[in-house]
Amino acid sequence: MDSHPSFAPSGTQMQVPGMLDANLRVRGRVEYAMDAKLPGMIHAKLLRSPHAHARLVSIDASRARALPGVIAVITGPDLANRDDIYPYYGPIFRDQSVLVMDKARFVGDPVAAVAAIDLDTAQAALDLIDVEWEELEPVLSLDDALAAGSIVHDEPPRLGQTFADIIVRTEANSNICNHFKLRKGNIEDGFAQADHVFEDVFTSPPVQHVPMETHNCVAWWENGVLRLISATQMPFSVRAQLAEIFKVPQTRVRITVPTLGGGYGAKTYAKVEPVTAVLAQVTGRPVRLHLTREEEFVTITKHGMQIRMKTGVTRDGKIVARHSTCYFNTGAYADIGPRLIKNGGFGTGGPHKIDNVWVDSYAVYTNLAPAGAFRGYGVSQAAWAYESQMDMIADRLGWDPYEFRMKNLLNEGEPVMTGEPMYDAHFKDLLATAAERIGWDANVKAVRHGNKVRGKGLSVIIKASVTPSTSSASVKLNEDGSLQILSSAVEMGQGAETTLSVLGGEVLDLRLDQVSITHPDTDFTPYDQGTSSSRNTYSMGTAVKMAVEDIKQQLFRLASDDLEVAIGDLEVFRGRVQVKGVPERSVGYGDLVRKARAGNLLATAVYASNGGLDPETGQGIGSVHWHQAAGAAEVEVDLDTGRIEVLKYHAGVYAGRIANPAQAELQTEGNIAFGLGQALYEEMIYDGGQLQNGNLADYMIVSIEDMPRQISLDVLERHESHDIHGIGETSLPPCMPAVGNAVFRATGVRILDLPITPEKVLRGLRANARPQAHVQEIDA
Amino acid sequence: MPEPLRLFQPTSIEEAVAVLAELGDDAKVVAGATALTLLYRQRLIAPGALVSIGRIPGLKTIEVVDGELRLGALVSHREVELSPVVRESIPVVADAFGKVANVRVRNAATVGGVMAESDYASDPPAVFVALDAVVDVQGSNGKRSIPASAFFVAFYETALEHDEIVIGVRVPVPPAGTGAVYHKFVTRSSEDRPCVGVAGVVRLHADGTVADLRVAVGAAAETPQRFWDTEALAIGKPLDADLIAQVADAYADQVDTLDDMRGSAWYRTEMVRVWVRRAIESAAAAAAPAR
Repeated sequence: MDSHPSFAPSGTQMQVPGMLDANLRVRGRVEYAMDAKLPGMIHAKLLRSPHAHARLVSIDASRARALPGVIAVITGPDLANRDDIYPYYGPIFRDQSVLVMDKARFVGDPVAAVAAIDLDTAQAALDLIDVEWEELEPVLSLDDALAAGSIVHDEPPRLGQTFADIIVRTEANSNICNHFKLRKGNIEDGFAQADHVFEDVFTSPPVQHVPMETHNCVAWWENGVLRLISATQMPFSVRAQLAEIFKVPQTRVRITVPTLGGGYGAKTYAKVEPVTAVLAQVTGRPVRLHLTREEEFVTITKHGMQIRMKTGVTRDGKIVARHSTCYFNTGAYADIGPRLIKNGGFGTGGPHKIDNVWVDSYAVYTNLAPAGAFRGYGVSQAAWAYESQMDMIADRLGWDPYEFRMKNLLNEGEPVMTGEPMYDAHFKDLLATAAERIGWDANVKAVRHGNKVRGKGLSVIIKASVTPSTSSASVKLNEDGSLQILSSAVEMGQGAETTLSVLGGEVLDLRLDQVSITHPDTDFTPYDQGTSSSRNTYSMGTAVKMAVEDIKQQLFRLASDDLEVAIGDLEVFRGRVQVKGVPERSVGYGDLVRKARAGNLLATAVYASNGGLDPETGQGIGSVHWHQAAGAAEVEVDLDTGRIEVLKYHAGVYAGRIANPAQAELQTEGNIAFGLGQALYEEMIYDGGQLQNGNLADYMIVSIEDMPRQISLDVLERHESHDIHGIGETSLPPCMPAVGNAVFRATGVRILDLPITPEKVLRGLRANARPQAHVQEIDA
Repeated sequence: MPEPLRLFQPTSIEEAVAVLAELGDDAKVVAGATALTLLYRQRLIAPGALVSIGRIPGLKTIEVVDGELRLGALVSHREVELSPVVRESIPVVADAFGKVANVRVRNAATVGGVMAESDYASDPPAVFVALDAVVDVQGSNGKRSIPASAFFVAFYETALEHDEIVIGVRVPVPPAGTGAVYHKFVTRSSEDRPCVGVAGVVRLHADGTVADLRVAVGAAAETPQRFWDTEALAIGKPLDADLIAQVADAYADQVDTLDDMRGSAWYRTEMVRVWVRRAIESAAAAAAPAR
């Protein structure tokens, strides 16, 4: 049984289990895209570049094509000769080609695709493709990229339909892919007011999303329509991209999305779909492409990052200026990097009231695997810098890190870094609770117990949700009073379908078993920007509620005639419309639908948020809501080995109204697992452009045994609030700095580059350990 | 169509050995397949034939005979971990197998497999080396026994001839009063392979002087590292902090540590020093439980 009790939204008859399909998931009964089997289906494999940067001199697939069982082989040059295909894609720049056309830009860049009757044959065919490469100087580091001795993309980027919130600023003959600027107040004046100025450089490595289900799809063509079953978080973005590639109207592409086995941002935008669709077209058969774990590692990653952060404070502890220069390593192809640098860039302003802020944030091309959306979306990298630096400043000036934060956290109505006022501010509440739960004591920095020392760390972060953005939903109320929700929200384990059913059903006071919800099908379910950015419960939830509210008004109009009372005197109660407070004067929904001879009542609603930033100053509306979270960690460090054990972790997040308590807690626990992995273990290690640990034997994520023995959660709700704040990512970014700050407080060793490995800590202990003030000695 | 991978499922050791003798290096022996699958998937090996030994009877024994714990080649890690026979006779063997990877891997991986693979970062080999275990193998020329310390030759290389298979491991049961421990030190997830793993065996005389001291270090170099000369220096001396530090330093000096993503050579040397000390300390504590 579920350990979480069922939950009843107040004032309704609904009983909500933790998650609708939890039982099916655990028993392996959920159908994923990879379970789809179509008649005549064949299998695809990709030949990938062994070089980080190399010109394609020639490619000859004739031996592979002759292998019995091979149905088709396509190469980049084949596509270049096709007038009916535009072989480029990418959400902002069309800088990625379906297959390598001119040069490979990372180890793993696909250069040919084979479709064969089975995977073994497809794999064998790859070995029969003869490729001649001319190796080029690879761009392997940020320094290589900025030196511009070698250029990853020689041509200026091809722009596509872009997002309303993206400013594109590219430079010729450079590896700078995009540049975001924020100019708030007057930075010179700000530093002039400061009594102390601190400048530090922080880095985070690229890491992997590791969804349990790797990228996969099945594509086939049916009467001139491209059909796909795909594991994507963004069916409409993928549809638009495929329509562009095949030069057909979007009505000629239909994508259905079953439940995903995790996404975490990896499954945003087109990934495996373009090449699979081309193979399906060439062969006339359904084609499946399902990446191996090793391929998953080089398909999309979190951005590696370097941030130089300069912060000015007054002698009484007020932050008066911050200047950040951020370099996000977007790898070989831009993906959504040009937008992510905006969130990561303005994110460096942090949850503090700072009047003078200057940010330059760059997406930088290199010859590594592409980086894109990753749970946290640039904020993890930014928070690692500013929340580490908060403790460094406090330590240098002899202040309590808790008090220093309290003095600077945003209050209600104060301007955030984008200049807009902060509404519904709870940073201080979250921090106070975090400090209390971890047992923060300003006077005790570390507790030593033999060769082990314990310390505690705090952090607070702010995060945007993509703004502006759009979700739409349709609903049908049937003749029996049951409700169907047609939504393009993607269920990927987060419980979207449970939550949307609750949000829709409670408007009409229905039971959960009277509500159903579809998976996305671009032919039938209305547009949604994508299930990402912690936006689904709020944005799609709002669209669903608006549509069901429309149905309710239709029912009231019908009931008003039927019961001969004014609309204002009606209410819904347990599947019926009744005169307020008079249950005996009521009529069932089904009766109203039948009397209206409507067959069903229909409604559609669109929720679109507004906002955007000025391109020169980065000032404006950065987020429809500013998401808020705090973290607190207690660690124990082995002074002989440097090994860190996280004994306790507290996560606090502001949720506005909680739509589903069990799922909100589970999302937060998931964030802790993600965060601790990135704090302590996770790092994609490259050598000469070759990934050294691209599999789950060599790349470590946390296991259940690595989770802290004590976890506490504070999913903060304001009962009078009807506003839902996204919580899918918010509690992740605090983890890394909370752990880093705790390690510092315990040992005096400050790690600036993630992950915080035992070896780095031991080197720090040997090199610069200074006796910790206020260390309590405990007898063994 | 590609050449299909040939699968042999012999029902006797002789039959398995005959296949190996015929096919040479093109054939790989497979039992639990936990290591082979990874190597195969990553295309680090491309055998033409697999010789699955799972149907050979008599290789799943766990028993104590003539003062020796005998583990058949097909006994799984999980079976070693949970076996009352192992737990009663040499508990450190159960402990070490119980620390390998996770329960899914332990249910499949076998005793013979972890020996024949000779992965430098496996846990059990160091324990077998410290306990003076013997590996029984059989090939075209019949059976022979190889001391565990001579069995592991280099990275993924053992003393096995290409037509030989491991049929079991025999571990002498240490005299009563012996303390034996295995410390697995990981630098990343608890499911990771060790950065270093140290097996320590200590037996003390009534006066507190060392009767027996054995230390083997795993995962720090190509093969488990044991230094008999260093061990011998401790015999007959009181086991105090200075002596333990001398042994730990001598091991740190002698192990030619390697560099991988779990730690640099420098760090491994330091960890050898720490964990040899801790292994001797805890083995000594286990050796004299009642004072």
